[in-house]
Amino acid sequence: MRLAYYLEIYRVQIKNNFVREAVYRTNFLTAVTVDVIWIAVEVSLFTVLYANVNTLAGWTKEQVYFFLGIFFSSDALFTVFFQRNFWNFSDLINRGDLDILLTKPVHALFLALSQSINLTAIFNIFLGLAITVQYAGPAGFLGGARWLLVGVWLLVGLISALLIRFIFSITVFWTERSWAISRLYYQFFAFATKPDTIYPRAIRYLILTALPFAFIGSVPARALLYGLEFHEYVNLVLVLLSFCLLNSFLWKKALLRYQSASS
Amino acid sequence: MNLQWRIAALKNGFQDATAYRVEFLFEILGSAFVPAAIQWVLWYALFQIGGATEVGGMSYSDLVHYTLVSLLFSQIRGGDHDFELQEMIRSGHLSNYLLRPVSVVEFIYIRGVASRLFIACLCLLVGSGIAATLGLSPLRLIGAMVLALIGNIIHYQIGAALSTTAFLWEEAYSILMVKNMVVNLLSGELIPLNLFPASMQWIWKSTPFYLYVFGPTQFALGKWTYLEYLNQLGIAVMWMLGMWAVIRLTWSLGMKRYLSLGG
Repeated sequence: MRLAYYLEIYRVQIKNNFVREAVYRTNFLTAVTVDVIWIAVEVSLFTVLYANVNTLAGWTKEQVYFFLGIFFSSDALFTVFFQRNFWNFSDLINRGDLDILLTKPVHALFLALSQSINLTAIFNIFLGLAITVQYAGPAGFLGGARWLLVGVWLLVGLISALLIRFIFSITVFWTERSWAISRLYYQFFAFATKPDTIYPRAIRYLILTALPFAFIGSVPARALLYGLEFHEYVNLVLVLLSFCLLNSFLWKKALLRYQSASS
Repeated sequence: MNLQWRIAALKNGFQDATAYRVEFLFEILGSAFVPAAIQWVLWYALFQIGGATEVGGMSYSDLVHYTLVSLLFSQIRGGDHDFELQEMIRSGHLSNYLLRPVSVVEFIYIRGVASRLFIACLCLLVGSGIAATLGLSPLRLIGAMVLALIGNIIHYQIGAALSTTAFLWEEAYSILMVKNMVVNLLSGELIPLNLFPASMQWIWKSTPFYLYVFGPTQFALGKWTYLEYLNQLGIAVMWMLGMWAVIRLTWSLGMKRYLSLGG
């Protein structure tokens, strides 16, 4: 019953966002262009590298492109559902706009993170999937029923990005301005744009535990191509669970610290 | 030339950038060390994991030196004050600046460049340490810094010209984002541009972006002769003058369409 209530709210949010996007049609084209260029830059970087070598830490060019396809789709999912909400997150706290959300009979965090949906980025999900499909065979992906797992792993990537981004964003309750922290998130996010096995042990450990950016694209791509070791699955579950608990704890602490600037 | 308002704008920009010191520190650390770490990781993957001995005519130590030195100049090329210009046009706040007896494009640049000048001084200090370790000439380092600062001006000029598309399409955010993404790759911030295969070298050579990071790094590392440096400095000045003319043209055309809504 409660879930149906939340789903209904979300349906209304999507409808409102669709109306908003329909008003700014040129925005759709420009947003798509930005993402296509971003994808082109990332692909170009590897194209240049592979013009000089045949493999990169055991990854062939086709495998890296397969990874990029998974990564772009996973990131596009995050962009569709959450990115704009995180950009607006600091305003909620600094301007006291969170007040109104706290008075609603639903979880304030649900409202805070579901207000804006970037429907234009849906195009990028398909673009990423197209790259994945294009390079799946040459990369060694076995296909068949395994394609169903792509959806599962994209969901893992989305949840991971959400949990990491939240940790960075919630610092605004303590730092007042979150611009630099957000920027720092995107600097670290660059670690997600490369396969995790190319990193030295210390960095790899970091992006598989404390800052699990590898869960966004790299681990899903590896899982789809070769499968993971049992301990890697355990690590994935434990890390995501720890982040859930930590985020929940920080949210409660943050609300105690919230000063309600508008009141 | 009235220096008084220019010095005041510079002072104001510096105070603004450092008002939130933790943010400022995060910005410097994030934008310096994370990209450098990612570059190093690529070299690590190619040489230490992949067992390569030379890539694009460069050894592991050549590439690590490139990463270390390019770090100094990639800090200077940035600055998001072109985004401020497009936001002013979009929101109508430009009107407030048009009333002032100063050039709005120059005012925003001077205010925005203050933090970059501070970072440039820091980079020179750090750079002298790196120069001593790597046996680089301090004179070359200063010359490279001059080229990087001219690169900063060109970068802003291109942004200022592109931001006038906001007069046409209400916002120029996306186009500026695209510019920054292309700059990321073609400035030599991600990888040395000589890794581009011969058939693709024309791409970076036909833009001024290589003058931001790759050019200064090449000169500081002693890969460019003094004659080559002077030649490139001349090219940089030509770009600067050309972009000055483009700014004059685009802004005069844009102002004819400006409606000052919401200002």
